[in-house]
Parts: sequence; structure tokens; C-alpha cells
Amino acid sequence: MSETPASDRPRLALWIVIPVGVVFAAFLVLLATRDVNETGLPEFTLGGDVAPEITGITIEGEPFDLDDLRGQFVVVNFFQTTCPPCVQEHPELVSFHETYAPDGIASVISIAFNEDPAIIAEFFDTAGGDWPVLGDDTAALAVEYGVVSVPESILIAPSGEVMSKVIGGVTHPGLEGLINRWQEDNS
Amino acid sequence: MSSATVGAVFVALGAAAALVGIGVVAFGLLGIHQRWWRDARWLAFATLGFSALSIIWMERALITRDFTVEFVAQHGSHQTSSIFNIATMWSALEGSILLWTFILCGYLVAVVVKFKDRHADAMLGFALLTLFFVTAFFFLLMVGPSAPFQSFDPPVGYDGPGPNPLLQSHILMAFHPPILYLGYVGFTVPFAFAIGALATGRVGEGWLLATRRWTVMAWGFLTLGIILGAWWSYETLGWGGYWAWDPVENASFLPWLTGTAFIHSVMVQERRGMLRVWNLSLVIATFALTILGTFITRSGVLESVHAFSNSAIGPMLLGFFGLIVLVSLVLIGWRGDQLRAPGRMDSPVSREGAFLANNVLFAAFAFVVLLGTIFPLIVEAVDGRTISVGNPYFERMTMPIGFTLLFLMAIAPILPWRKASSGVLGDRLIWPAWLGVGAIVLAVLVGARGWAPLLAFGLGGFAGGAALRQVVLATRRQGWRGLVGRTNGGMIVHVGVVLIAVAFAASNAYVHQSEFNLAPGETASIAGHTITYEGLSFREFANRTETRATVRVDGGQVYEPGIAVYTASGQVVGIASVRSTAFDDVALSIEQFPNDGTDRAVVRVTVQPLIVWLWVGGLIMAVGTLLAVLPGKRRQPTAPVSAPAVPDRVEVPA
Amino acid sequence: MTRRVASWLAVAMIGAAAFVYGAVDEGEPRTDSDRAYAISNTIGCPVCQGQSVVESNAPIAKSIRETIALRIDAGWTDAQIRAELRDSYGEDVDYTPSSEGITILVWILPVVAFAGAVAGLVVVFRKWKREGDLEASAADRKLVEAARALADED
Repeated sequence: MSETPASDRPRLALWIVIPVGVVFAAFLVLLATRDVNETGLPEFTLGGDVAPEITGITIEGEPFDLDDLRGQFVVVNFFQTTCPPCVQEHPELVSFHETYAPDGIASVISIAFNEDPAIIAEFFDTAGGDWPVLGDDTAALAVEYGVVSVPESILIAPSGEVMSKVIGGVTHPGLEGLINRWQEDNS
Repeated sequence: MSSATVGAVFVALGAAAALVGIGVVAFGLLGIHQRWWRDARWLAFATLGFSALSIIWMERALITRDFTVEFVAQHGSHQTSSIFNIATMWSALEGSILLWTFILCGYLVAVVVKFKDRHADAMLGFALLTLFFVTAFFFLLMVGPSAPFQSFDPPVGYDGPGPNPLLQSHILMAFHPPILYLGYVGFTVPFAFAIGALATGRVGEGWLLATRRWTVMAWGFLTLGIILGAWWSYETLGWGGYWAWDPVENASFLPWLTGTAFIHSVMVQERRGMLRVWNLSLVIATFALTILGTFITRSGVLESVHAFSNSAIGPMLLGFFGLIVLVSLVLIGWRGDQLRAPGRMDSPVSREGAFLANNVLFAAFAFVVLLGTIFPLIVEAVDGRTISVGNPYFERMTMPIGFTLLFLMAIAPILPWRKASSGVLGDRLIWPAWLGVGAIVLAVLVGARGWAPLLAFGLGGFAGGAALRQVVLATRRQGWRGLVGRTNGGMIVHVGVVLIAVAFAASNAYVHQSEFNLAPGETASIAGHTITYEGLSFREFANRTETRATVRVDGGQVYEPGIAVYTASGQVVGIASVRSTAFDDVALSIEQFPNDGTDRAVVRVTVQPLIVWLWVGGLIMAVGTLLAVLPGKRRQPTAPVSAPAVPDRVEVPA
Repeated sequence: MTRRVASWLAVAMIGAAAFVYGAVDEGEPRTDSDRAYAISNTIGCPVCQGQSVVESNAPIAKSIRETIALRIDAGWTDAQIRAELRDSYGEDVDYTPSSEGITILVWILPVVAFAGAVAGLVVVFRKWKREGDLEASAADRKLVEAARALADED
């Protein structure tokens, strides 16, 4: 009999099982401690950077350049007329714009997201709002501003630096609060 | 008694039967309960009976729209058509666990019936113990966190939202989950026998022979389930793809990979008595991976479109997965060395050498898929970054493995056991080699370029030629019997695999996709096809409104891709439409209908060659599997000299 | 030269010629939309649970597809387009794991594991070769008889 008795054989299986078990235990811990309730939204990476440039022709046919608004706060609002929260936030934007734009403190610009300019023009006619609206070729702007869905509003400081992003609808007091906080932090 | 309560009672009785089953078998194994077998048998039938009653009760509730059952209130609807109404059961978590449990009980009863003459065997006892344990676990899931029968108090005139619209859009969805489950759950049986073998320490080759066909059947169902899932995805999602390396897809693919490794290496054990511990590990890994896959699908731990919503059964599944692996590892550590065969291989260039290479490759394949799937979790845990590991990774890493496997498929079937001479190889491989070269030449002539797809075609022709050669020789020798039996059926499966590999390579390498914004009457052209958009049509259904575009392909047949808006949920679902020929597919979907007052449509067109052969290949694999489990011509088993095995534990069949 | 050797030579030569021609010749040039598809297929949609921007119908996926096409028109390289998307949406929109830091392990580990397995097998085969053949014992024969009986019964 050319073979060794079972008891004298090298404990190979055991020596393989132990490291496999250790790796497996780590794997289990990894799965068990994973927080499954994360939102999964990408983080906003633009804060503090110079705002990506926005130039183009508004739906009213005027040329527009974001640099012309340097020196005031700018709310860059990405929206769609078919999205209920966008419609809901619109009066807030109108009131905010009407309060601050005449003095050149802050203003709003809107960028349409996947929508036909004719429909947007109609929406602004009925819902009010007298600020530049860009409707054509806005896909790249959404990407540059890291927009994932609508409505999203990006706040830009007078220096041209991106302050923060609001995901979901904005309110007039909410925007004021963000601006005040920024002024306190930077005075 | 409300109808939810009746269902809950059926489930509870099933759970009780399974729990008592564990006790009865355990007492039987301990020698306390002598007549355990008779009781275990009845308990197995009882679990099947109660799970069948639960299913019938659920289907009754779905068909009669009995909204007092919460599951029906959440997923059923008066508007759902009858076939999808039945399939609604497995469109959501609780019902899918119900179906899973029913199939599991079916396998349990099948084991009890098939092995009724061998109940004196302790190995069968341990296998039954394992089966009852797994069954009890799934029943307990339904008693606890995933209860299918909860009562609901519907307001007057209530109608549910119906199942997820995506799942109502194609008939394949009615078949894909049950078939996939038949595969997943089927691996419980070989797993149970593996545990039995480890627990008794009687590894022999007996348990393998006993469960071989079960494993092959389970593997066949899993294969078919995966292919049907890919087909469904291709036909309905409208992005022109069929496989996205999504975590849930990977979760179904992992047990397939280890299962495939097993059904190959098991032949080495049967013929040569080697690789015993390895085979046990593969069976255990396959079963554990099915549970891991179920966990991934149902816990929301990895992001996937296929995932069911987060639910409380995640921790229980994870715990169960941990327990299975822990028990198995302990058993292998304890018994493994005792079971190891002292056998050796004479030469790497032999049938067993090829099977070994096959196993190394499949293990590497599974490792790549598993690592890629969970790697984002590891990175996030270690340094907080969120990263993705997606198709570029999987394709780059698995491509060399796939090529090597194709090459192996060509030479392995013609390699003799033990040792091969180059003369034998040269004679047997020349025709397959011509076929491979022919495939390359043909591909180059019709315009295929690039080294990767050409290599895939060449190796595919080579492997396909080798498989066909075996089939032709076998049918010449044995007539129709040359098509049945494991070896012959296996070669037919190989033909299917080759078709899928070639179609996969071609469709990935030569895909063309474009979006066209077209006004009625306008024509666009892509990859040699013309697409003419002719206009819009609207259709009202009970549960949805469809807007369809009329699109003429190549001036011939008209296709109608579109968009459906489901009334209850407001969910918008695309309706894809595919023109298939043997050479290429033109898949059409509607990106959007711009709401600018015109009848324009944005049509997305995907042209891919050879897609049809994926489904044909899948069908051939299924047929081959069926042929493989039919009893073939009995071969003379192992010559004694080629099977050195542990002599101190001779297996005597009961 | 035997017929078999001649036949194999012919196979090798024709196969190699066709393969090299097909691999070297570039065929039809890649269109911009092919390029756009290839990039889109490997970029994840930031809001849609593991779907690529090709798969997804979300508006942002559509915007990203449009942007990729725009950038290609403007003459950007694939790497530049990917970098912009990573900057805007984070590293995880890129389906190709980077080779920086710990992430490189995902590329290396499988190769190391595979090389380890192959090396292990080489060692084992060498050892077996050195030790020579086993003789079947009476017990072995008995075991095979038992297995054979079981197989016949099956």
C-alpha cells in the first residue's frame, strides 16, 4: 500500500479553510455594515470653483453672458415646465428676483432641461418671471454644472465663484438665508 | 376568517411541518427515533402541500382581485391582463419567496421519492436534514419579514396599481423568474448531499452519482433562466443591449460559473477518484452563491435596476448565507484531509488535465465577476471613495478567460484520459481547425475587422467543429442514441455555447447606435439600413395609453416602437421593437416625442449582427441539457488502474 | 512530409494570413456616433441605480449622451470627455475603475490569483512526475467494483 494513513496526511484542507474563513468573515462584515439607505446622489464637486461660463441666446432672442452679471449674486435655475416642484418654486423665484434684481444685488437665470423653447416661452408668459432663459443646447450646461435632475439651483457669488447647490425647489427666504450666511462667512 | 388569515395559516403550517421535519430527521440520525423515515416522508409531502395551498390561495386572491390581501392590493389590479395577473405573484418580493419555497418543497419531495429505498443510509439522513433546514428557513422568512398574506382594508371601489409596468411589457417576464428559480433552488439538492457526504465522512463517488442528474437539470434551468432574462432585457428595455454586468445579473451568473466548473470536474472524480474536496467545495460554493445572489437582489446593498425595494429580509438572508458557509468550512476543515484522494494525474495533456484547466479558468472567471461586483463596497469601506466597476472592467478581464475556454472546448473533448500523444491530437483536430480557419476567412470576407472578434470566430469555429465532430461520430456509431447521454448531450450544449460566444463577440464588436430626430416621412440611414418614420398612432388600453411611431425598416416591414404611460402610477415605459434576421438585428425604440406641436419623433436605432444566435444558442444549450440527462449508452466504468482511491472507506450502496 | 503535417501547415498559413489581414486592416472608419456610443456605454447615469447612460431614459442620461456627442464634434478626446464627467458627477460615473490607490487591486488581484493557481498546479504536476506511478491495490479494485455496481444500478 503506497499510501499514508489519513491521520498522517498533511492538514492541507485545514490550512486552506482557515484563510478562506477569515476572508469570508471580512466579506460578511462588509455586507452587514453597508448602509443601504444612502441616497446615491453624486456629491456636488463644484463648490468654490469659478462658475462654468454660460453664454447663448435667450428664448427672447437676446444674447446672454453670465460674466455680465459679475458683481451680483446669481441663481442659476435648471427646470422643466412639466416637473411639479419646478412649477411650485416658480413664484418664489419671481418674488426673489423682483426684490433684488432692480438694485443689482441678485438675479435669476433659468436654463431649460430637455424642453422645447416654445413651450418655455408660453410658461413664462403665464407664470411670470422676467429674467434671461436659455432654452437651446442646454445639455452641456447641465453636465458642466453637475445637474442630475430638476429643479436644481446653483448659487453664484458676486466674485463669480460657485457657492452651493440646492436640489429640489427653492424658496425666497431660503435663498436669502443662503446669501446672508455666505456674506457672514466672507466678511 | 379573512382570506389573508387563511393564507397565513397555510404558510405557518408549512413552516411547522418543515421545523418538525428537522426534529424528526435529527432524532432519527441520533438513533432516538427509529421510524423517522416514514414521518420525514409525510412531513416532506406536507411542506409541499402547504406551499402549494399557499400558492393556490395567492393566485386565487390575484385572479379574483381580492384586495383584502395586502400583496394583491399593492401589486394586483383589475386592469392587468390575465397572464400577467398570474405572473404578478413573482413580480414582487413576497410572492417570489412564495414561489421559491414551493419549488424547494418540490425538490424535497422529489428527493424523498427518488431515494425511498436508501433511507437506511445516514448520508441521506443528513441530506434530508439539510433540505428540511433550508425549507424551514424560507418558510420562516414568510412567517416573519416577508409575509405574503397580510390583511388590508380596501376602501370601496379600490383598485391596485398592478405590477411594475416593466414586468408587464413582455411575455418572457412570466417565464424568466420561475425557470431561474428552478435552477437556483435545484442546487439545494446537490448541496444537501455534499453536506451529507461531509457529515458522514463517506465521500466515495456515491453521492455524486446520486445527484449528478439533479445538478445538470438545475444547471440547465439556470442557463435557460439567464438567457431568458437577457432576451427579455433586449426585447423590452430598448437600449439595444442584453447583458450589462449589473450586480443582479452577476449574482445569477456566479452560481452558473461555479456550477459549470462542477459539472465538468465531477467527471474527473467519477473516472479517476480525484478532486473530491474541490468538488464538494464547488457544490457548496454554488449553493452559497445562489443565496448571496438572493441577498444582493433583495437587500438593496448594491445598486441595480433589478433590485427589489429594500426589505427586512436582507439581514436574515445574510445570516443564512453566513451560516451555510461557516458550517461548510468547518466540515471541510474537519473532514477535508480525510477525504482527499491520493490520486495523481499522469500528464497535463489529458482529459483530466483539460478539466483541471477548465476549473482553474472558471474559478478565475467567478473570482473576477465576484470581485468586480463587490469591489465598490470594499473601496468605500476602506477609503470612503465611491467608485464603479462596470462593463469595461468585466469585458477586459473576462475576454482572455473566454478565449482560453473556447480553445479548451476545442481540444478537451478529443483528448483521451490519462495521456495524449501528439499524433492522436493531430488527426482528431484537423477538421475542427479547418472549420476555425474557415470561420476567420468568412468573417474577413464579409468585412469583419479587429483581432478580438476574429479570434473569437476562429476559436468558436474550432470549438464548434470539435463538438460537432463528436456528435457526428457518436450518431454514426450509435444512431439516435448518439444524441443522448451525458457526453453527447454535453457536446450539443457546447455547440450552443459556441453560438453564444460568437454572437456575443460579434454583437459587442460591431454595434452601431444612433438617435434620429425625424419628421414624418423622413428617412435616416445607419450601418447599411434605412429607417423611415411614417407617423404617430395612439392607443388606449384599460391600464395604459400607448403612443407609437410607425417606422419602416429598409423599405419593407413596418415596426411600431413607442411609449406607454401607465394610468395608475404615471410611470412611462418604452416599448421597443426589433427587426431580427439571421444576420443582424435592427432594434428600435423611441427616445421621446418632442411636444412642440409637430409629429416629430426621436428614434433610437441599434444595429447589431448575429443577435438571434444568442437565443438560438440558449435554446440549443437547453435541449442539450435535456439530452444529457436522458440515459445514454452505458459505458464501461473506470478501469481499476485509473482509479486509485481511498481504500479504507469503501462505499457499499445500500 | 506526411499529409497530416501538410494539412496543418496549410491551416496555420491560411488562418494566420486571414487573421493578420483582418486584424491589421482597419476597415470602415469609426463614425462619431460609434465613438459616442462606446463612451456612453461605459458611463453610469448619476441618478439611476446602476444603469449606464445608454440604458437609462432619465433626462440627465439623455443630456449626458447629447453632451458627449457635442464634445466629440468639438474635437475632444475620449479621455477629456471622461474627465469632464468625472469632475461633474464624481468618480463613480466612470465604469472603468481607475488604477489609482487601492482601486488598482481590482485589476491586479485576479491576475495574481490566477498566476498563483497556475504555479501551484505546475508544482504539483512536477511532484507527481517525480514520484512516478501508483499501483492499484486490491482495495482499489474492490472500490471500483462497488462504484461500478452502483453505476449500473443508477
